[in-house]
Amino acid sequence: MTAASAIDRIAATHARLAPLLPGGPEWAHRRGRALATLVGRGLPDRRDENWKYLDHARLAGYEFGVVARPAVDPAALAAARLPLEGACRLVIVDGRFDAALSGGEPLAGVTHEDIGALLGREPAAAHELLRLPADDADDRFAVMADAFTDGGVVIRIAAGSSSPRPLHLLHVASAMRPAAHHARLVIAVGAGAKLVLVEEFLSLGDAAVFANLAAELAIGAAADVEHLRLHRRNPEAVQVETWDARLGAGGSYRQHLVALGGGIIRSNFRLALAGEGAACRLAGLFLADGKRQVDIHTQVEHCAPRTRTEQDFRGIATGRGRGAINGRIVMRPAARGADANQSIRNLLLSPLAEINARPQLEIHVDDVRCRHGATTGTLDPAQLFYLRSRGLDEATARNLLTFAFCQDVLAGMPLPVVRDFVATRVADILPDVELMREQA
Amino acid sequence: MSDDSRNILEVRELRVRAGERIILDGLSLSVRAGEVHAIMGPNGSGKSTLTGVLAGRPGLEVLSGSATYLGRDLLAMPPEERARAGLFLAFQYPVEIPGVNNVYLMKASLNALRRHRGEPELDAFEFLNLVRARLGAMRMDESLLNRGVNEGFSGGEKKRNEILQMSLLEPTLALLDETDSGLDIDALKLVAEGVNALRSPARAIVLVTHYQRLLDHVVPDRVHVLAGGRIVRSGGRELALELERRGYDWIQDGTAAA
Repeated sequence: MTAASAIDRIAATHARLAPLLPGGPEWAHRRGRALATLVGRGLPDRRDENWKYLDHARLAGYEFGVVARPAVDPAALAAARLPLEGACRLVIVDGRFDAALSGGEPLAGVTHEDIGALLGREPAAAHELLRLPADDADDRFAVMADAFTDGGVVIRIAAGSSSPRPLHLLHVASAMRPAAHHARLVIAVGAGAKLVLVEEFLSLGDAAVFANLAAELAIGAAADVEHLRLHRRNPEAVQVETWDARLGAGGSYRQHLVALGGGIIRSNFRLALAGEGAACRLAGLFLADGKRQVDIHTQVEHCAPRTRTEQDFRGIATGRGRGAINGRIVMRPAARGADANQSIRNLLLSPLAEINARPQLEIHVDDVRCRHGATTGTLDPAQLFYLRSRGLDEATARNLLTFAFCQDVLAGMPLPVVRDFVATRVADILPDVELMREQA
Repeated sequence: MSDDSRNILEVRELRVRAGERIILDGLSLSVRAGEVHAIMGPNGSGKSTLTGVLAGRPGLEVLSGSATYLGRDLLAMPPEERARAGLFLAFQYPVEIPGVNNVYLMKASLNALRRHRGEPELDAFEFLNLVRARLGAMRMDESLLNRGVNEGFSGGEKKRNEILQMSLLEPTLALLDETDSGLDIDALKLVAEGVNALRSPARAIVLVTHYQRLLDHVVPDRVHVLAGGRIVRSGGRELALELERRGYDWIQDGTAAA
């Protein structure tokens, strides 16, 4: 199937669905305009510099229609999700907030609101709240999400509030047959607040679901956010996401993106370091095994003095897995004294695996420091020989080195339960080696 | 040595190529149980290639000749099998492996050897007791155990870490590739103590070295001079002292004259 026919199918679904969606004439108009924009621009394809590594033919083969959402069995979800002790849990099922499945321990200062309900009750407020898509060629999937907006969640963290317990945000794909869903997410963290947010993308069932997320994150001055993002959907699932984030003066944001599941993951993460001294760390680890494609694009804009970026990405591809990492850092004229350090390291474990790394620095001011390094290679023969010379068989040595390659990103993860889970999953995905699990 | 003493290593007419160059060119060497051999030679004479090919380093091509270890065709065994059969190489340049825990590797390594011998594996507690005892002997800081393998170790720490592994694995044949180079006198003595502690009638040790100073502390049974990819002269300890006095040119000139 071609991209043109995908657009036709999207338009047909829209025509059928739009009259049923909440928000009144205001939202009908907004969705219609978004669809027209999408049809006008078309889906991204190979000719788009920022999309050229994605398998567009495969993506276009997905179902963009919507099916009825089956009821989720709470016990099945509880068994499938990360066991986070003491977490406050918010659950989005197939793009819509699910109050019944949400719960856990409330966190002081954390409130939430169902976007689906807000659309019905106060369409104008929803219109004000949801800012995506931006006028950016890379935002076409956010345009698509806008055209189908019917739900999601707003999370507000009150200024000055703090809890060591995490907020667990689940994105559940429950459909039992191919379907598409689009979610909206807005997170506003007040000044001086502290938040540990764990986002988990999981499937219940093995349907080839196309999931699209448009997310907005605003972090106030001197706030501190740890953000773990764990993709672990089934091997047929697609997740496309567009993030627009903003960090205030003196704020700190640390993201740990881990992609161990799913069929296609495309993550666009745009972050503006808007206030003086704002500091971010974006770390990522992906494992593209089987036919998985992981396509990570980040853009950090330094818009204020003494802002800092640390980027540390590790990609592993094996089988026919494919990966792409595009890390763009922009130093605006106001970013005097800013500092950015970007490291991208990739490991190819099979002849058909492929990873493309593209660091991009765009500097509009003199007084900044930028360092970057990108390497893609295979396991080091000298290290392999050393381990084998100590009696470890070749498969064990290879897996141990592969596992070691992930350690930097794993070690930086804040919650031991998540870190252990990821380490065990990495060990599970690699061929069965008891030793690694022991080290994990 | 009596005639019935066990032959541990028998290398015959070994020719080895690395890339386009022939590095070993008809090397023969016989090492029996209980013996310590020193192999000396100028830079580029093929010393590291010899230990490398015996341990199974990739990138070395054996053109002809043989190496027999305890009666087995050593060159047909993958590196890990050689290690499990009791061969140990102390690397000249121990590689850093960030992300692989040092003590974890030692335990995995010892247990791989024990499994091979049909012995029960050591649990974490038993192993830690064992390694702590050896650590003290090497005067190594315990913090080095929990770092990545050789990660950020000084040159001397890397060499001591090799000797620590050797003392844990108790090899039948230990090959030490210039373990003495770059060590100060205190570290050299520790390495020598480690080697001397390993000496036994059942084992053999091959020390590859550029200088004779290690041999002040580990007295060899045999000394060989390697030049041009073969052993050009063999003798007792006095050969090392003579080399020290007269330099390698003397041997090379001698070879040319012979």
